[in-house]
Parts: sequence; structure tokens; C-alpha cells
Amino acid sequence: MNDATNTVSRVERETDSERGKALANIIFNAGLAALFVGLFLQAGDLPSSMWEPLGAGSFPRLILGALITFNLAIMVQSVAALRRTDREAGVGATHWFIQRRMAFATLAVFSLYALLMPWIGFALASLLFLLAVQVILGARRGRRLLIAGVIAAVFGLGLYVLFSHVFLISLPRGHLW
Amino acid sequence: MPMTDALLSSVEQLFSLATLVSMMIGVMAGVVAAAIPGFTITMAIVLTLPVTFTMPPLQGVATMLAVYVGGGSGGLISAALLGIPGTPSAVATTFDAYPMARKGEPGRALALGIWASFFGALISAVVLIVAAPPLAMIAVKLGPWEYFSLILFAVTVVASLVGKSILKGLMMSLLGLFIATVGQDPMMGVPRFTFGIDVLAAGIPFLVVLIGIFAVSQLASEVENPAELHQGQALVSGKMHFRPFAVMREVLGRPGNLLRSSMLGVVIGAVPGAGGSIANLIAYDQAKRASKTPELFGTGIADGVVASESGNSATAGGGLIPMIALGIPGSAVDAVLMAALMVQGVSVGPRLIMDNADLVYGMFLAMFVAAGMVLAFCLISMRWFLRITEIPKSIIVPVVLVCCAVGALALNNRVTDLYLLTGVGLVGYLLAKLDYPLAPLVLGVILGPIAETNLRRALMADEDWTLFFTRPISAALLLLAVLSVVFTVRRLLQQRAGVRAST
Repeated sequence: MNDATNTVSRVERETDSERGKALANIIFNAGLAALFVGLFLQAGDLPSSMWEPLGAGSFPRLILGALITFNLAIMVQSVAALRRTDREAGVGATHWFIQRRMAFATLAVFSLYALLMPWIGFALASLLFLLAVQVILGARRGRRLLIAGVIAAVFGLGLYVLFSHVFLISLPRGHLW
Repeated sequence: MPMTDALLSSVEQLFSLATLVSMMIGVMAGVVAAAIPGFTITMAIVLTLPVTFTMPPLQGVATMLAVYVGGGSGGLISAALLGIPGTPSAVATTFDAYPMARKGEPGRALALGIWASFFGALISAVVLIVAAPPLAMIAVKLGPWEYFSLILFAVTVVASLVGKSILKGLMMSLLGLFIATVGQDPMMGVPRFTFGIDVLAAGIPFLVVLIGIFAVSQLASEVENPAELHQGQALVSGKMHFRPFAVMREVLGRPGNLLRSSMLGVVIGAVPGAGGSIANLIAYDQAKRASKTPELFGTGIADGVVASESGNSATAGGGLIPMIALGIPGSAVDAVLMAALMVQGVSVGPRLIMDNADLVYGMFLAMFVAAGMVLAFCLISMRWFLRITEIPKSIIVPVVLVCCAVGALALNNRVTDLYLLTGVGLVGYLLAKLDYPLAPLVLGVILGPIAETNLRRALMADEDWTLFFTRPISAALLLLAVLSVVFTVRRLLQQRAGVRAST
């Protein structure tokens, strides 16, 4: 599907080690498996029904059971992959992280945006967000910074007016004023 | 409602000024979005969804279909002029359209693609109209056993087609099925896995998950490489000459290629999980095999452009076949369309065509209208296409992220949804980096309640669970599900062995 192939085509660019990926897979699946075991046990308390053989809990337990099996299978596969890789190679997690700093910075600003929105309202929060991300992505000075400012103002306020007045979607106004 | 009444009612609804205007805006948005590298069609559709909440059902769905059909054509613009596919569906378009543009015929390359897209969409709409109603007639006769097995089959097909590891694909499908169980139980209304949190009582908001996965995490991976942020260098110089009608005759002069590529697109689109991104490559490959001059493919030959563009555009109609007839989406985009209908209170399933005939006929008609609008819009605005592709990602990404926030707020105006969106975006980004395919998750979420309801109905009707294996259609579907997994495992093992042998 569209998005999957998009990420696949990126593979050539990946320089991170297989080792790091295998390790991340093990940790991730172990965490999920633990969570699913907990949920599996919790699902046992869901009421059964007198009208049907399966109650509310059976289907989720079926799915959770299968999920746990798959988590374990992926862990086994990743452990095998980890053994195959060079022990000296190192995980390269820091390098991996630094390489993608732009993506993480953008996501970090996005979460700040979400946190600020109830306080200062949609319009102002969007304006600040648009400006901040453009600056992070390279609009540092001169003409590009000016364009970034104009875009932040036009889209921050423009989208607010468009959605709240034309499409009648109510957007947060902000507690502070 | 008799058929003629339904048809008339759908014509009346579709050809109202409001619907036509919103469809036209949808077409423009779809073409422009798909022309921008890094902005996928799925993203455009997901972001259109909240805007359609306030519209009547047919207008909403017609607008989303317009974005979809427009997106099918938009990808070719950057493919032809920059050599970068605007969407993954236009990868094969770069093989011939770009060389053709560099040889001094950018106008011809674009026009060929536009006409091929138009005919591809048209052919797929015809197949949809012919195939969907009879399929639905069969589907309503299926019992819950068959239905459950059908969904199981759909889930395994999606998992085996997408991504590099079937284990990860199946795990993501199951995760989607599990996410769908949060909230009220579909039969008894008992709350499940809500942990007393009010927000979860109505289930994890599907729209927020969609936007997080298909837009936020995708946008994050767009900006990770600083070198790619300043794109948009036009490598094609020279004047563009447009002779749309001469090119139309050129496209129609290849009926074999056009029909074959479109039919391939329809069939691939109808398979859950496979869509335009696979269809364009297969159609191109088949056209090359069937050609008398295969060595010319890749040098800027018209047949290559026609195959790829008609193939990817035809998936639009193909994907709607299982959605309308069976209530099973053929792709992530169709899952979004289904979600849109469900928000409108329309229940999607094999009875859709009987209970909401006017809506379904309206969707059929909308496919034709949208194809015509895309053609008109593209032919008129072709001259300015180059400008669209010059917008840098440092502007696109933040603006689209703000649109994501609007989309998440649109349903309930709840800031909690925004926090969830950020979380889903981050998790989706990390999952994609670890090679977990995201499409199976989304299809799992949509199919979860249908699977559970049918499983429980089956066992309510008869406690004997062996019926799943002894009823012939159900058994055949389960067998197909097993086979799809077995074949994928075999293919992946062979690939891995091949890689190891070569190193």
C-alpha cells in the first residue's frame, strides 16, 4: 500500500545496523507481550452471556492469545538475527537518533503545540507552531524567514477562519482570554 | 426503493450545486496533494474526512471520491517533470514519462498520463457497476461462518502483501483487531478495556488513529533527511506544447495496452491491501512483456506512460468493489471511505446496495463525474503544474500538520484527541522505522467489529465450531487464507536465500 512502499523505498538510505533493529524489536515485542498478557487476564473478568456461547471476553482473548504468540515468534526471529550480526558492530542507537533529529524535533514541537492549544487557543498556537517548525527545518534568516512568517500568519489564522466559519468545525479558543 | 427511483434520487443529489462545487474542490485538492512529493493520496483523503462530517452522506462520499480520483492523476505531474513519483502509485510513471519530458516533450508526457488516467478511471467505474451488485447479491446469502472466514482471508492477504515480514504484517492486523475491541462490546454493550477512562468508553477514536498513522508519522519521516528539504528543482526546461486531442487519439490508439492495464488495476485494487502502488508496476511490467518493442521501455515511450497511469487510476474503482459488495475495504483509502460512511450513520456491508441504493448509485456516478473533472482541471491547469512541485517541504510539512490537528479536533473538539494523535504519530513513526507495515493495522481496526459479530453470531446459531470447516464456502476461504500465508512465507524464504547466496 502507498505508505508502506514509501518507507520501503527509503531502505537504501538507512545506515543503521541490523543489530539495533533486532534489539529494538526484542524490547518492543517483550513489552507488548507483557501488556497483552495483562489484558488477557483482565479480559477473563468480562461477563459471559446466557444467550451465546461466547461472551464479551472471548473474542478479545482469542486475539490477545494470537498476538502474544506472534510477539514471541518475532522475538525468537530477532534473537536469531541478533546472533547473526557482528557483536562488535554496536547498536548505534544514538547515531540513529541523531540522524533523524529533524523528525523527532518536529514531533516534539507538535506535542508542545497540542499542550499549548487549550491555553492560548487554536489560532495563536497554530501560528507559533508553523513558525517554529519552519525555523527548525531551515528558514533561519533573510527572505526565507520572512516567507515563513507570512506563511505562519496566513495559514495559522486562515485555517482557523476557514474551518471554524466555513466548515463549521469548532476549534479550541484558549482559557487565557 | 425501485432502481429507477434510486437512480433519479442519486442524480438529483449529485448534480446539486453544493455537491458539484465540493467535488471540484476535492479534485483540485487531490491533484495538488498527489503532485507534491511526500504528500500521499491517503493523507489527502484522511484530511478530507473531517470536512465532510457536516455534509449529507452522498456529498461527503462524492467529495472524498473526487480527492481519490484526482490523486490518481496528480502523482504523474512530479513523476513526469521531476522524475520523483509524487505518490508511490506513480513509480512506474517516472520510467518513461520523465525521459520523454527530458527529451523535450513534457507536454506530451503529461497529456498522455492525464488521458490514460481518465480512461483507466472510466474503465474501472464500468467494471465496478457491472461487478458490485451481483457480488452483493451473493454476499447477502453468506452466513456468519462464511463472513468470518472471508474476513480472516482478507486479513491474511493484507498481511502477506504488505511489508517484508509476514509475522509483522499479521501482528499488525491482530493489533488492529484488538484496538477495535476497546470500548463497547458490539453484541451486549459491555465496556471493555476502558479502565474507567471516559474517553475510551466509545472506543479508541478511529479517525485520530488514521490521521496519526497516515499523516503525522508519514510527515515525520518526510523531514528526517535535511538534504531533501529543499527540493523542487525543475530539471525539465523548454516550452511545453499541448495538443490534448492529438494525444487522446494516441492513447486510444493503444486499446490493448489501455484495457489490459486498466483491468489489472481493477483486479489489484479489489484485493484487500494491494492498491495503486503495486498496480502501476505490474501494469508496466505486463505492457513491456506484451510489447513488440520491449527494449524501448524506459527510454520515453508512450506505452509505458499509458500502462502505469491507467493501471494506478483503475485501482480506484477496483477497491470500491469489495467495499460496496462485501463491506470489506480494498485499501486503506477505502477503509477511510467506509469510516466516513459509518460516521454518517450508514451501515456498510452487503446490504448497502439494497438499503441505500441511491447512495451507491450516487457513488458510481460520482466516479464518472470526478474522472471528467480531473481531466478538465488537469488539461486547463497543466501549465502551472511545475510551480506546485517547487513548494519546499519545510512549508508543506508544518501546514499539513496543522490540518492534522484540525482533523483530530473535528469529531469531538476534545484536546485529549490531540494528545492521542501525537502519541499515535510517534508510535507509527517508530513502527514504520522498524519495518512494521501500518496498513494492516488500519484494516484490522475496521474489520474487527465485523469479524467479532459474525463469529459470535455463528456460534449463537449453532454451537458446533466445526461448521467453519465443513461448510464448503467457509472451508474454501479458510484454505485460501492458509495458502496466502504459505505462499508468502515461501516467497520470503526464497528471497532471503537469494540475498544470502549473492553476498
